Amino acid sequence: MKWRRTAVAVALVILGVALQTTLFVRLRPFGASPALALLVTLAVSRHMGQVSALVVGFATGLLLDLLSETALGLWALVLTCVAYATVRLRRRFEDDVTLLIPGVFLLSFSTLALYALVGTIFGEQTLSDAQVVRKMLLPAVYNTILSPLVLPPITRLLRARPGTGRGLDL
Amino acid sequence: MWRPSRVDRSTGAFIGLVIACLALVTIDLRASGEGLGGTLRDGVQAAFTPIQKAAAWVTRPVVGFFEGLSDLVGLRDENRVLRLQVADLQGQLAETESLQRRVEELEAILAIEPPEGLDTVAARVLATGPSDFDAIRLIDKGRRHGVTVDMPVVDEGGLLGRVVSVTDTSARVRLITDPTMRIAVRVERTGEAGILTGRGGGLMQLEMFNTDTALIEGDLLVTADGRFPAGIPVARVAADADAEVGFSLRTTAVPEGELSRVDYVKVLVFTSDAVGSQEPEGEEPVQPPLEEQSTTTTAPGPGTTTSP
Repeated sequence: MKWRRTAVAVALVILGVALQTTLFVRLRPFGASPALALLVTLAVSRHMGQVSALVVGFATGLLLDLLSETALGLWALVLTCVAYATVRLRRRFEDDVTLLIPGVFLLSFSTLALYALVGTIFGEQTLSDAQVVRKMLLPAVYNTILSPLVLPPITRLLRARPGTGRGLDL
Repeated sequence: MWRPSRVDRSTGAFIGLVIACLALVTIDLRASGEGLGGTLRDGVQAAFTPIQKAAAWVTRPVVGFFEGLSDLVGLRDENRVLRLQVADLQGQLAETESLQRRVEELEAILAIEPPEGLDTVAARVLATGPSDFDAIRLIDKGRRHGVTVDMPVVDEGGLLGRVVSVTDTSARVRLITDPTMRIAVRVERTGEAGILTGRGGGLMQLEMFNTDTALIEGDLLVTADGRFPAGIPVARVAADADAEVGFSLRTTAVPEGELSRVDYVKVLVFTSDAVGSQEPEGEEPVQPPLEEQSTTTTAPGPGTTTSP
Protein backbone atom coordinates (compact mmCIF):
# COMPACT_ATOMS: atom_id res chain seq x y z
CA MET A 1 0.00 0.00 0.00
CA LYS A 2 2.77 2.37 0.99
CA TRP A 3 4.68 1.60 -2.21
CA ARG A 4 1.60 2.10 -4.31
CA ARG A 5 0.97 5.44 -2.68
CA THR A 6 4.61 6.47 -3.17
CA ALA A 7 4.55 5.46 -6.84
CA VAL A 8 1.33 7.38 -7.42
CA ALA A 9 2.78 10.44 -5.65
CA VAL A 10 5.94 10.34 -7.80
CA ALA A 11 3.86 9.97 -10.98
CA LEU A 12 1.64 12.88 -9.95
CA VAL A 13 4.62 15.11 -9.23
CA ILE A 14 6.24 14.32 -12.60
CA LEU A 15 2.93 14.89 -14.38
CA GLY A 16 2.40 18.16 -12.50
CA VAL A 17 5.87 19.47 -13.34
CA ALA A 18 5.62 18.36 -16.99
CA LEU A 19 2.25 20.09 -17.39
CA GLN A 20 3.46 23.16 -15.52
CA THR A 21 6.37 23.61 -17.91
CA THR A 22 4.63 22.74 -21.19
CA LEU A 23 0.95 23.67 -20.95
CA PHE A 24 1.59 27.29 -20.10
CA VAL A 25 4.22 28.24 -22.68
CA ARG A 26 1.64 30.18 -24.68
CA LEU A 27 -1.48 29.84 -22.55
CA ARG A 28 -0.85 32.62 -20.03
CA PRO A 29 -4.01 34.52 -19.18
CA PHE A 30 -3.07 38.03 -18.01
CA GLY A 31 0.60 37.07 -18.36
CA ALA A 32 0.64 34.48 -15.59
CA SER A 33 0.14 30.75 -15.18
CA PRO A 34 -1.01 28.48 -12.34
CA ALA A 35 1.62 27.02 -10.02
CA LEU A 36 0.59 23.44 -10.74
CA ALA A 37 3.59 21.80 -9.09
CA LEU A 38 2.81 23.68 -5.90
CA LEU A 39 -0.84 22.61 -6.06
CA VAL A 40 0.14 18.98 -6.62
CA THR A 41 2.58 19.13 -3.69
CA LEU A 42 -0.16 20.52 -1.49
CA ALA A 43 -2.66 17.90 -2.66
CA VAL A 44 -0.24 15.01 -2.23
CA SER A 45 0.95 16.21 1.17
CA ARG A 46 -2.60 16.00 2.51
CA HIS A 47 -2.60 12.23 2.15
CA MET A 48 0.97 11.12 2.70
CA GLY A 49 2.68 10.33 5.97
CA GLN A 50 4.16 13.34 7.71
CA VAL A 51 7.77 12.63 6.82
CA SER A 52 6.84 11.29 3.36
CA ALA A 53 4.96 14.51 2.64
CA LEU A 54 8.05 16.55 3.51
CA VAL A 55 10.20 14.35 1.27
CA VAL A 56 7.70 14.78 -1.59
CA GLY A 57 7.83 18.56 -1.13
CA PHE A 58 11.61 18.54 -1.06
CA ALA A 59 11.89 16.27 -4.12
CA THR A 60 9.36 18.26 -6.15
CA GLY A 61 11.19 21.47 -5.31
CA LEU A 62 14.51 19.93 -6.24
CA LEU A 63 13.10 18.84 -9.61
CA LEU A 64 11.89 22.40 -10.23
CA ASP A 65 15.31 23.74 -9.25
CA LEU A 66 17.01 21.39 -11.67
CA LEU A 67 14.68 22.45 -14.48
CA SER A 68 15.22 26.14 -13.88
CA GLU A 69 18.25 28.39 -13.78
CA THR A 70 17.78 29.47 -10.17
CA ALA A 71 20.07 28.41 -7.34
CA LEU A 72 19.69 24.73 -6.50
CA GLY A 73 17.63 24.34 -3.33
CA LEU A 74 15.40 27.43 -3.53
CA TRP A 75 12.27 25.68 -4.72
CA ALA A 76 13.16 22.69 -2.56
CA LEU A 77 13.18 24.96 0.49
CA VAL A 78 9.91 26.62 -0.42
CA LEU A 79 8.01 23.43 -1.29
CA THR A 80 9.31 21.71 1.85
CA CYS A 81 7.71 24.57 3.78
CA VAL A 82 4.46 24.04 1.82
CA ALA A 83 4.48 20.35 2.71
CA TYR A 84 5.16 21.13 6.37
CA ALA A 85 2.37 23.71 6.53
CA THR A 86 -0.02 21.27 4.85
CA VAL A 87 0.92 18.48 7.25
CA ARG A 88 0.29 20.82 10.18
CA LEU A 89 -3.01 22.17 8.87
CA ARG A 90 -4.55 19.19 7.09
CA ARG A 91 -6.60 17.96 10.04
CA ARG A 92 -8.23 21.38 10.25
CA PHE A 93 -8.97 21.24 6.51
CA GLU A 94 -10.60 17.86 6.93
CA ASP A 95 -12.73 19.12 9.81
CA ASP A 96 -13.99 22.06 7.77
CA VAL A 97 -13.82 21.56 4.03
CA THR A 98 -14.88 25.17 3.40
CA LEU A 99 -11.46 26.20 4.68
CA LEU A 100 -9.76 24.23 1.92
CA ILE A 101 -10.31 26.69 -0.96
CA PRO A 102 -9.20 29.82 0.96
CA GLY A 103 -6.40 27.68 2.38
CA VAL A 104 -5.16 26.85 -1.13
CA PHE A 105 -5.16 30.55 -2.02
CA LEU A 106 -3.34 31.63 1.13
CA LEU A 107 -0.81 28.82 0.96
CA SER A 108 -0.11 29.43 -2.75
CA PHE A 109 0.27 33.16 -2.26
CA SER A 110 2.48 32.76 0.82
CA THR A 111 4.62 30.18 -0.97
CA LEU A 112 5.26 32.44 -3.95
CA ALA A 113 5.93 35.37 -1.62
CA LEU A 114 8.40 33.22 0.30
CA TYR A 115 10.06 32.22 -2.98
CA ALA A 116 10.34 35.87 -4.02
CA LEU A 117 11.86 36.76 -0.67
CA VAL A 118 14.29 33.84 -0.49
CA GLY A 119 15.20 34.33 -4.17
CA THR A 120 16.11 37.93 -3.50
CA ILE A 121 18.19 36.99 -0.45
CA PHE A 122 20.13 34.56 -2.63
CA GLY A 123 20.66 37.03 -5.49
CA GLU A 124 17.90 36.08 -7.93
CA GLN A 125 16.50 39.63 -7.97
CA THR A 126 12.93 38.31 -7.75
CA LEU A 127 11.67 41.27 -5.75
CA SER A 128 13.10 43.70 -8.29
CA ASP A 129 10.68 42.18 -10.79
CA ALA A 130 8.22 44.92 -11.78
CA GLN A 131 5.40 42.36 -11.88
CA VAL A 132 6.19 40.62 -8.62
CA VAL A 133 2.77 41.14 -7.04
CA ARG A 134 1.00 39.92 -10.15
CA LYS A 135 3.29 36.88 -10.29
CA MET A 136 2.31 35.99 -6.74
CA LEU A 137 -1.36 36.89 -6.87
CA LEU A 138 -2.49 35.49 -10.22
CA PRO A 139 -0.98 31.99 -9.82
CA ALA A 140 -2.59 31.84 -6.37
CA VAL A 141 -5.96 32.78 -7.89
CA TYR A 142 -5.51 30.22 -10.69
CA ASN A 143 -4.56 27.55 -8.16
CA THR A 144 -7.69 28.34 -6.18
CA ILE A 145 -9.81 28.01 -9.33
CA LEU A 146 -8.10 24.75 -10.29
CA SER A 147 -8.17 23.22 -6.82
CA PRO A 148 -11.67 21.70 -7.18
CA LEU A 149 -10.42 19.95 -10.34
CA VAL A 150 -7.08 18.81 -8.92
CA LEU A 151 -7.61 18.01 -5.24
CA PRO A 152 -10.52 15.52 -5.43
CA PRO A 153 -8.91 13.20 -8.02
CA ILE A 154 -5.63 13.20 -6.08
CA THR A 155 -7.55 12.50 -2.88
CA ARG A 156 -9.24 9.54 -4.57
CA LEU A 157 -5.90 8.23 -5.84
CA LEU A 158 -4.06 8.55 -2.54
CA ARG A 159 -6.68 8.01 0.14
CA ALA A 160 -6.08 4.97 2.33
CA ARG A 161 -8.63 2.28 1.67
CA PRO A 162 -11.07 1.42 4.49
CA GLY A 163 -9.61 -1.19 6.75
CA THR A 164 -6.03 -0.34 5.92
CA GLY A 165 -5.99 2.45 8.53
CA ARG A 166 -4.38 5.76 7.85
CA GLY A 167 -0.93 4.38 8.70
CA LEU A 168 0.58 7.42 7.08
CA ASP A 169 3.83 7.76 8.94
CA LEU A 170 6.98 6.41 7.41
CA MET B 1 15.83 22.45 35.58
CA TRP B 2 15.44 23.55 31.93
CA ARG B 3 14.82 20.81 29.45
CA PRO B 4 14.61 21.26 25.72
CA SER B 5 11.02 20.82 24.51
CA ARG B 6 10.42 17.60 22.63
CA VAL B 7 10.51 18.06 18.85
CA ASP B 8 8.16 15.73 17.00
CA ARG B 9 9.38 13.63 14.12
CA SER B 10 7.97 15.75 11.30
CA THR B 11 9.38 18.95 12.75
CA GLY B 12 12.78 17.28 13.10
CA ALA B 13 12.62 16.11 9.49
CA PHE B 14 11.50 19.59 8.39
CA ILE B 15 14.43 21.25 10.14
CA GLY B 16 16.82 18.71 8.61
CA LEU B 17 15.46 19.29 5.09
CA VAL B 18 15.59 23.08 5.49
CA ILE B 19 19.23 22.81 6.51
CA ALA B 20 19.87 20.54 3.51
CA CYS B 21 18.22 23.11 1.21
CA LEU B 22 20.29 25.96 2.59
CA ALA B 23 23.44 23.87 2.20
CA LEU B 24 22.48 23.11 -1.42
CA VAL B 25 21.87 26.77 -2.19
CA THR B 26 25.19 27.76 -0.66
CA ILE B 27 27.15 25.07 -2.48
CA ASP B 28 25.47 25.85 -5.80
CA LEU B 29 26.04 29.59 -5.48
CA ARG B 30 29.67 29.03 -4.56
CA ALA B 31 30.10 26.80 -7.62
CA SER B 32 28.34 29.44 -9.80
CA GLY B 33 26.07 26.81 -11.29
CA GLU B 34 28.99 24.63 -12.38
CA GLY B 35 30.27 21.48 -10.67
CA LEU B 36 27.83 18.90 -9.36
CA GLY B 37 24.87 21.28 -9.63
CA GLY B 38 25.56 21.97 -13.30
CA THR B 39 26.05 18.28 -14.07
CA LEU B 40 22.83 17.38 -12.25
CA ARG B 41 20.93 20.11 -14.09
CA ASP B 42 22.13 18.90 -17.49
CA GLY B 43 21.39 15.29 -16.61
CA VAL B 44 17.90 15.94 -15.27
CA GLN B 45 17.06 18.26 -18.16
CA ALA B 46 18.22 15.62 -20.66
CA ALA B 47 16.13 12.98 -18.90
CA PHE B 48 13.10 15.21 -18.57
CA THR B 49 13.13 16.58 -22.13
CA PRO B 50 11.39 13.51 -23.64
CA ILE B 51 8.66 13.82 -20.99
CA GLN B 52 8.28 17.50 -21.79
CA LYS B 53 8.21 16.74 -25.52
CA ALA B 54 5.44 14.20 -24.95
CA ALA B 55 3.52 16.58 -22.70
CA ALA B 56 3.92 19.42 -25.22
CA TRP B 57 2.66 17.15 -27.99
CA VAL B 58 -0.37 16.13 -25.94
CA THR B 59 -1.22 19.63 -24.69
CA ARG B 60 -0.62 21.57 -27.91
CA PRO B 61 -4.16 21.06 -29.28
CA VAL B 62 -5.61 22.05 -25.90
CA VAL B 63 -3.48 25.20 -25.83
CA GLY B 64 -4.43 25.97 -29.44
CA PHE B 65 -8.10 25.60 -28.62
CA PHE B 66 -7.92 27.92 -25.60
CA GLU B 67 -5.80 30.41 -27.53
CA GLY B 68 -8.41 30.52 -30.23
CA LEU B 69 -11.10 31.00 -27.62
CA SER B 70 -9.21 33.78 -25.87
CA ASP B 71 -8.71 35.56 -29.19
CA LEU B 72 -12.40 35.33 -29.83
CA VAL B 73 -13.19 36.71 -26.38
CA GLY B 74 -10.87 39.63 -27.04
CA LEU B 75 -12.82 40.55 -30.16
CA ARG B 76 -16.21 40.08 -28.56
CA ASP B 77 -17.30 43.69 -28.60
CA GLU B 78 -16.58 44.14 -32.29
CA ASN B 79 -17.99 40.83 -33.33
CA ARG B 80 -21.04 40.50 -31.08
CA VAL B 81 -23.44 40.05 -34.01
CA LEU B 82 -21.13 37.84 -36.02
CA ARG B 83 -20.42 35.59 -33.08
CA LEU B 84 -24.02 34.36 -33.04
CA GLN B 85 -23.66 33.24 -36.63
CA VAL B 86 -20.36 31.48 -36.13
CA ALA B 87 -21.10 29.93 -32.74
CA ASP B 88 -21.52 26.45 -34.20
CA LEU B 89 -18.21 26.78 -36.05
CA GLN B 90 -16.31 28.10 -33.04
CA GLY B 91 -14.48 24.89 -32.23
CA GLN B 92 -13.30 24.35 -35.79
CA LEU B 93 -12.41 28.01 -36.16
CA ALA B 94 -10.32 28.04 -33.01
CA GLU B 95 -8.37 25.04 -34.19
CA THR B 96 -7.92 26.46 -37.69
CA GLU B 97 -6.75 29.84 -36.37
CA SER B 98 -4.26 28.15 -34.12
CA LEU B 99 -2.86 26.09 -36.99
CA GLN B 100 -2.77 29.11 -39.28
CA ARG B 101 -0.92 31.18 -36.67
CA ARG B 102 1.67 28.45 -36.32
CA VAL B 103 2.15 28.23 -40.08
CA GLU B 104 2.55 32.03 -40.28
CA GLU B 105 5.02 32.01 -37.42
CA LEU B 106 6.99 29.23 -39.04
CA GLU B 107 7.02 31.05 -42.37
CA ALA B 108 8.06 34.28 -40.68
CA ILE B 109 10.80 32.64 -38.66
CA LEU B 110 12.19 30.94 -41.77
CA ALA B 111 12.22 34.29 -43.57
CA ILE B 112 14.31 36.07 -40.94
CA GLU B 113 17.51 37.44 -42.38
CA PRO B 114 20.22 36.87 -39.81
CA PRO B 115 22.65 39.78 -39.36
CA GLU B 116 26.04 39.56 -41.05
CA GLY B 117 25.10 36.35 -42.83
CA LEU B 118 25.28 34.32 -39.64
CA ASP B 119 24.20 30.72 -39.69
CA THR B 120 21.01 30.02 -37.82
CA VAL B 121 19.28 27.07 -36.23
CA ALA B 122 15.47 27.07 -36.28
CA ALA B 123 13.94 25.66 -33.12
CA ARG B 124 10.61 25.19 -31.45
CA VAL B 125 9.83 26.21 -27.88
CA LEU B 126 9.06 23.09 -25.87
CA ALA B 127 8.64 24.32 -22.35
CA THR B 128 8.76 27.26 -20.06
CA GLY B 129 10.38 27.78 -16.67
CA PRO B 130 8.78 26.11 -13.65
CA SER B 131 7.32 29.38 -12.42
CA ASP B 132 6.47 32.87 -13.63
CA PHE B 133 9.62 34.10 -11.92
CA ASP B 134 11.77 32.00 -14.28
CA ALA B 135 12.00 33.93 -17.55
CA ILE B 136 13.41 30.95 -19.44
CA ARG B 137 12.27 28.81 -22.36
CA LEU B 138 13.38 25.33 -23.35
CA ILE B 139 13.95 24.84 -27.10
CA ASP B 140 14.18 21.56 -28.97
CA LYS B 141 17.67 22.08 -30.41
CA GLY B 142 20.88 21.50 -28.53
CA ARG B 143 24.57 20.74 -28.78
CA ARG B 144 23.94 18.14 -31.47
CA HIS B 145 22.49 20.86 -33.72
CA GLY B 146 25.33 23.30 -33.14
CA VAL B 147 23.79 25.33 -30.34
CA THR B 148 26.16 26.47 -27.61
CA VAL B 149 25.96 28.64 -24.53
CA ASP B 150 25.68 32.42 -25.07
CA MET B 151 24.16 32.28 -28.56
CA PRO B 152 21.47 34.88 -29.23
CA VAL B 153 17.91 33.76 -29.91
CA VAL B 154 15.55 35.79 -32.10
CA ASP B 155 12.08 35.65 -33.56
CA GLU B 156 10.58 37.63 -36.41
CA GLY B 157 10.27 40.70 -34.14
CA GLY B 158 13.79 40.77 -32.76
CA LEU B 159 15.96 39.57 -29.91
CA LEU B 160 14.29 37.17 -27.47
CA GLY B 161 17.16 36.10 -25.24
CA ARG B 162 20.31 34.06 -25.11
CA VAL B 163 21.19 30.43 -24.55
CA VAL B 164 22.30 29.81 -20.97
CA SER B 165 22.64 26.03 -20.91
CA VAL B 166 22.68 23.24 -23.46
CA THR B 167 22.16 19.50 -23.52
CA ASP B 168 22.55 17.28 -26.58
CA THR B 169 18.97 17.76 -27.70
CA SER B 170 17.71 20.88 -25.96
CA ALA B 171 18.80 24.28 -24.73
CA ARG B 172 17.55 26.78 -22.19
CA VAL B 173 17.09 30.36 -23.26
CA ARG B 174 17.00 33.22 -20.76
CA LEU B 175 14.57 35.87 -22.00
CA ILE B 176 15.65 39.49 -22.27
CA THR B 177 12.99 40.47 -19.72
CA ASP B 178 14.71 38.53 -16.93
CA PRO B 179 15.82 40.99 -14.22
CA THR B 180 19.37 39.63 -14.45
CA MET B 181 19.66 40.52 -18.16
CA ARG B 182 21.43 43.69 -19.23
CA ILE B 183 21.83 44.37 -22.94
CA ALA B 184 24.01 46.98 -24.58
CA VAL B 185 21.86 48.80 -27.16
CA ARG B 186 22.00 51.74 -29.52
CA VAL B 187 19.17 54.03 -30.51
CA GLU B 188 18.86 53.47 -34.24
CA ARG B 189 17.83 57.11 -34.91
CA THR B 190 20.68 58.78 -33.03
CA GLY B 191 23.33 56.10 -32.63
CA GLU B 192 23.54 56.81 -28.88
CA ALA B 193 24.36 53.86 -26.66
CA GLY B 194 22.68 52.69 -23.50
CA ILE B 195 21.80 49.72 -21.35
CA LEU B 196 18.48 47.90 -21.46
CA THR B 197 17.56 46.02 -18.28
CA GLY B 198 14.87 43.36 -17.83
CA ARG B 199 12.20 43.89 -15.24
CA GLY B 200 10.65 40.45 -15.17
CA GLY B 201 8.18 41.02 -17.98
CA GLY B 202 6.38 43.75 -19.83
CA LEU B 203 8.37 46.97 -20.09
CA MET B 204 12.16 47.04 -19.84
CA GLN B 205 14.23 49.85 -18.39
CA LEU B 206 16.54 51.86 -20.64
CA GLU B 207 19.40 53.97 -19.31
CA MET B 208 21.49 56.00 -21.75
CA PHE B 209 25.21 56.73 -21.43
CA ASN B 210 24.91 60.13 -23.06
CA THR B 211 22.24 62.27 -21.44
CA ASP B 212 22.29 65.06 -24.03
CA THR B 213 20.12 63.49 -26.73
CA ALA B 214 16.47 63.07 -25.86
CA LEU B 215 14.60 59.86 -26.54
CA ILE B 216 11.36 59.86 -28.49
CA GLU B 217 8.56 57.35 -28.12
CA GLY B 218 8.88 54.72 -30.82
CA ASP B 219 12.67 54.96 -31.16
CA LEU B 220 14.00 51.56 -32.15
CA LEU B 221 16.72 50.08 -29.95
CA VAL B 222 19.12 47.64 -31.59
CA THR B 223 21.91 45.58 -30.14
CA ALA B 224 25.34 47.17 -29.96
CA ASP B 225 28.50 45.15 -30.55
CA GLY B 226 29.34 42.79 -27.72
CA ARG B 227 27.62 39.69 -26.47
CA PHE B 228 25.11 39.93 -29.33
CA PRO B 229 25.75 40.74 -32.98
CA ALA B 230 25.11 44.41 -33.68
CA GLY B 231 21.89 45.60 -35.27
CA ILE B 232 19.29 43.15 -33.97
CA PRO B 233 16.07 44.97 -32.99
CA VAL B 234 15.48 44.59 -29.25
CA ALA B 235 12.82 47.05 -28.13
CA ARG B 236 11.07 50.35 -28.82
CA VAL B 237 11.12 53.34 -26.50
CA ALA B 238 7.74 53.46 -24.74
CA ALA B 239 7.83 57.06 -23.52
CA ASP B 240 9.68 60.26 -24.41
CA ALA B 241 12.55 61.09 -22.07
CA ASP B 242 14.81 64.06 -21.38
CA ALA B 243 17.78 64.13 -19.05
CA GLU B 244 16.86 64.65 -15.40
CA VAL B 245 19.01 67.49 -14.11
CA GLY B 246 21.60 66.47 -16.67
CA PHE B 247 22.63 63.36 -14.75
CA SER B 248 20.64 60.47 -16.08
CA LEU B 249 18.44 59.66 -19.02
CA ARG B 250 16.06 56.85 -18.28
CA THR B 251 12.85 55.57 -19.77
CA THR B 252 11.04 52.34 -20.51
CA ALA B 253 10.97 50.24 -23.65
CA VAL B 254 8.68 47.55 -25.07
CA PRO B 255 10.42 44.39 -26.33
CA GLU B 256 10.07 43.83 -30.07
CA GLY B 257 10.04 40.05 -29.80
CA GLU B 258 6.78 38.23 -29.10
CA LEU B 259 7.91 37.02 -25.69
CA SER B 260 4.62 35.90 -24.23
CA ARG B 261 3.46 33.75 -27.14
CA VAL B 262 6.71 32.62 -28.69
CA ASP B 263 6.55 29.27 -30.46
CA TYR B 264 9.25 29.14 -33.15
CA VAL B 265 12.63 30.83 -32.75
CA LYS B 266 16.00 31.04 -34.46
CA VAL B 267 19.30 30.60 -32.70
CA LEU B 268 22.05 32.73 -34.24
CA VAL B 269 25.32 30.83 -34.49
CA PHE B 270 27.34 33.59 -32.90
CA THR B 271 29.48 33.99 -29.82
CA SER B 272 31.19 37.15 -28.64
CA ASP B 273 34.49 35.20 -28.65
CA ALA B 274 34.25 34.57 -32.37
CA VAL B 275 33.73 38.26 -33.08
CA GLY B 276 36.65 39.23 -30.89
CA SER B 277 38.97 36.93 -32.82
CA GLN B 278 37.72 38.22 -36.20
CA GLU B 279 38.13 41.91 -35.41
CA PRO B 280 40.50 43.57 -37.89
CA GLU B 281 43.68 44.84 -36.36
CA GLY B 282 44.20 48.55 -36.02
CA GLU B 283 40.52 49.33 -36.19
CA GLU B 284 39.31 51.78 -33.59
CA PRO B 285 37.19 49.75 -31.19
CA VAL B 286 33.67 50.91 -30.56
CA GLN B 287 32.91 51.99 -27.00
CA PRO B 288 32.70 48.63 -25.23
CA PRO B 289 29.22 47.71 -24.06
CA LEU B 290 28.88 46.63 -20.48
CA GLU B 291 28.57 42.92 -21.24
CA GLU B 292 31.97 42.93 -22.89
CA GLN B 293 33.57 43.95 -19.64
CA SER B 294 32.61 40.57 -18.24
CA THR B 295 35.59 38.27 -18.32
CA THR B 296 33.62 35.08 -18.78
CA THR B 297 31.86 33.91 -21.91
CA THR B 298 29.94 31.14 -20.25
CA ALA B 299 26.46 31.55 -18.86
CA PRO B 300 26.32 33.10 -15.46
CA GLY B 301 25.40 30.64 -12.82
CA PRO B 302 22.39 30.87 -10.59
CA GLY B 303 22.38 33.95 -8.55
CA THR B 304 24.87 35.72 -10.73
CA THR B 305 24.00 38.52 -13.08
CA THR B 306 25.23 39.54 -16.45
CA SER B 307 25.83 43.04 -15.24
CA PRO B 308 29.41 44.32 -15.23
